[in-house]
Amino acid sequence: MRTLARRLLGSQEAGLVLVVAVVTVTLTLLAGSHVDRRTGELINNFWNSNTLIQTATDASFFAIMAIGATVVIIAGGIDLSVGSIYALAGVAMALLVRAAGPMDPVTTVLLGLGISAGVGLLCGLLNGALVVGLGVHPFIVTLGTMWMLRGIAFVVSRAESILVPQPLTAVAKAPLGLGGGLYPVPMLVMLAVTMVGVLYLTRTVMGRHVFAFGGSLEASRFAGLPLNRIQIGVFVVSGLTAGLAAFLGASFYGSASSGDAQGYELYVIAAAVVGGASLSGGKGSALGATLGALLIVLIRQSIRTLHLDQNYEWIVIGCAIIVAVVVDQWSTRAAARRFSRTAALSKSAA
Amino acid sequence: MAEPAVRFEGISKRFPGALALSDVSLAIEAGSCHALCGENGAGKSTLGKILAGIHAPDAGRLFLRGREVRFAGPRDALAAGVGMVHQELAFCGNISVAENLCLGALPARAGWVAWREVERRAIAMLEEIGADLDVRRPLGELTIAQQQLVQIAAAVGGGARIIVFDEPTSSLSQVEAERLYELIRRLKRRGVTCIYVSHRMPEIFGLCDTVSVLRDGRHVATRPTAGLSEAELVGLMIGRPLAEYFPRHLEAAAGEEVLRVEHLSCPGKFEDVSFSLRAGEVVGLAGLVGAGRSEVARALFGLERGVRGRILVDGRPVRIASPRHAIRLGIGLVPEDRKRQGLVLTESGLHNTSLPILRRLARLAWIRRARERRLAAEYFQRLRVRAPGLDAPIASLSGGNQQKIVLARWLAARSRILILDEPTRGVDVGAKAEIHALVDQLAAQGTAVLLISSELPEIIALSGRILVLRAGRLVGEVPRALATQDRLLALMAGVDAAVVAAEAGVGSAGDRDVPGDRRRTGNRAGDG
Repeated sequence: MRTLARRLLGSQEAGLVLVVAVVTVTLTLLAGSHVDRRTGELINNFWNSNTLIQTATDASFFAIMAIGATVVIIAGGIDLSVGSIYALAGVAMALLVRAAGPMDPVTTVLLGLGISAGVGLLCGLLNGALVVGLGVHPFIVTLGTMWMLRGIAFVVSRAESILVPQPLTAVAKAPLGLGGGLYPVPMLVMLAVTMVGVLYLTRTVMGRHVFAFGGSLEASRFAGLPLNRIQIGVFVVSGLTAGLAAFLGASFYGSASSGDAQGYELYVIAAAVVGGASLSGGKGSALGATLGALLIVLIRQSIRTLHLDQNYEWIVIGCAIIVAVVVDQWSTRAAARRFSRTAALSKSAA
Repeated sequence: MAEPAVRFEGISKRFPGALALSDVSLAIEAGSCHALCGENGAGKSTLGKILAGIHAPDAGRLFLRGREVRFAGPRDALAAGVGMVHQELAFCGNISVAENLCLGALPARAGWVAWREVERRAIAMLEEIGADLDVRRPLGELTIAQQQLVQIAAAVGGGARIIVFDEPTSSLSQVEAERLYELIRRLKRRGVTCIYVSHRMPEIFGLCDTVSVLRDGRHVATRPTAGLSEAELVGLMIGRPLAEYFPRHLEAAAGEEVLRVEHLSCPGKFEDVSFSLRAGEVVGLAGLVGAGRSEVARALFGLERGVRGRILVDGRPVRIASPRHAIRLGIGLVPEDRKRQGLVLTESGLHNTSLPILRRLARLAWIRRARERRLAAEYFQRLRVRAPGLDAPIASLSGGNQQKIVLARWLAARSRILILDEPTRGVDVGAKAEIHALVDQLAAQGTAVLLISSELPEIIALSGRILVLRAGRLVGEVPRALATQDRLLALMAGVDAAVVAAEAGVGSAGDRDVPGDRRRTGNRAGDG
């Protein structure tokens, strides 16, 4: 138990966990409370199941994408097209499932999931293939596909909002026994994807290849790694998470349009970076990405809960991103110093 | 006695990962040439950089001619008369020589740069040290030797009376190095105090009056070079006497032929190279830098495009299209640029060791981490890697330990053909001996080794026979019994050994532009 605690405290994400906890506690203390009209109980304005799950739900859609984006960023790239992939995957899912006509609910859900994930995967494949095939920097390629893919979504949807069949919404909004207008599914999917992301990055061959690729392309070449496969792979992962987020988002809100997730790419990258991913590659974590997304949403939520002027939201978020990254750099440096001390100790002991 | 030009008093400096200097006190006589020597990581460069204002000491005091000084940066140091010449590019590579020389004080009229004045000043500064360079060329296009001339001109032109040379010949050819020595002697005659950071014996003994030895960040001794022997100095540097040995792998006959190269060519890089390599054999590959040694290694590792000719591994013809393919065939390459090509510096020693064999360590895609750690621990121990643990960031380890990890990687991958490209470059004396012993041991156990090195003594000591490349062509094969430095050098340069020696003595620094031929002699000054 003690070693577990020490591992948590020593881990890369420890600082971020602390910040999230501090913001949560502060918000709870400052939020004030109201009396529930039905039960007569005193309820904290922030620390109540409704607000908490709502906050987690808000975070979940782009936290899922931020995990994919983190994989790309660890590999030294960037994916600006995730918002557009989300829109295209959502629109394609809604259109195709509707076109397929009424089916039993299970088939509908599987078909919807297959379509949105498939579209996301294909878009990621396109990004990866363009980066590898043309030898153009991911920033440029995904800047291009960002507009292309949203344009395709715009054309195929004829700029209309398309309703998503009911069975899909039923899944995304399944109460899972909670009731009372609480919808925990997006939050649970976010947690599941985070776990898969953590395992993928730290325990699989592909994940470790991604770190090496982003840490040094040249050294990875000399170590015989399949460079093109890694490069394409990270964009596929990113596309896939965008497709999954689209399935969840479109189902949850009941409709899909080409304007969905506009500007999400920046939230997603912000979450990844706040979560400790380094844009120069070789560093980042899936848990960090989720915590980063949570932190951004918490800050947004705090403006609402504390009845601050909503017009300041962007300014606050912008500052928070810079502060978070600077704090992360400090703690990394502090960790390096800690390490150097133990290194010096072990040296003198030897 | 006169006030010393420089006096360090109780200097300490800590970097993340290491205590670089610990309570160093020493004095440097005015007008002398004073060597700072020691193994890599001994702190000699750090001491030089503290004097030049690049690092600030954590503790201790620095005196120039008896007056205490504190430098906030290299500019303060230069203002106080201390300049520094670095191993590699220290200025902006993308702007012209003239601009670099006037950087910080660009002459201007009403806010517009007076270009003609910039060039005039730059030419004057270069003339001051007897160098003649095209001041309009971007600095990055010059050879490293020429860039050093620019650094020296900047230091002298900036009024430096003390100049720190930080291993200035590590990237120079013999001829270029000789010119630099001549220039340093001239500077000394003009009363400039030279501090020469190096671990090369001939330089220390040929150039310097006094030598201070650092070991593990501590000042061990300061001695006049006259009356000191090389063996004594090496003993001071490594703290124990150095043993010579005869490679054990030569006791057994070489085994089966594992690699055969026939008429291998790569346009513009090398032409018609043929040789064979047997199990249990160490074959040296010598040549000047640019002769195509590394390119042959790269071709064998699937890193060159457009390779023609035949390669046979275990008697079977193969086309090696990628490093992956090469690794599958049992080939391992320790590349020449450890930091860029050999290691992923953001990762741990463990991860760097297992990188090429993750698939083998995994079940499906899932890495069996216990197995990975066991394997790495085994090779860390066998190669005596000194690290605080398997998870220590590779960037925190010394050059020698980093190189051992690159080697460990190929041992773990069970490579049967090892290509070592400058395996001991930037490795300290102790680790170097360990790596030599390891190469010998591997060969004795049946690994075939192709050894590329610019240090002829290293090649001669380890190899059973030596192939010599000149301008991309194989020009000779010298058996161990006949291998001498002179003979190899003559083959490498394509002239009589006598002529090589004569030419090295001729050009005094900067009388003329260094020839456009960027090839540098592999025999780096001073490793002999």
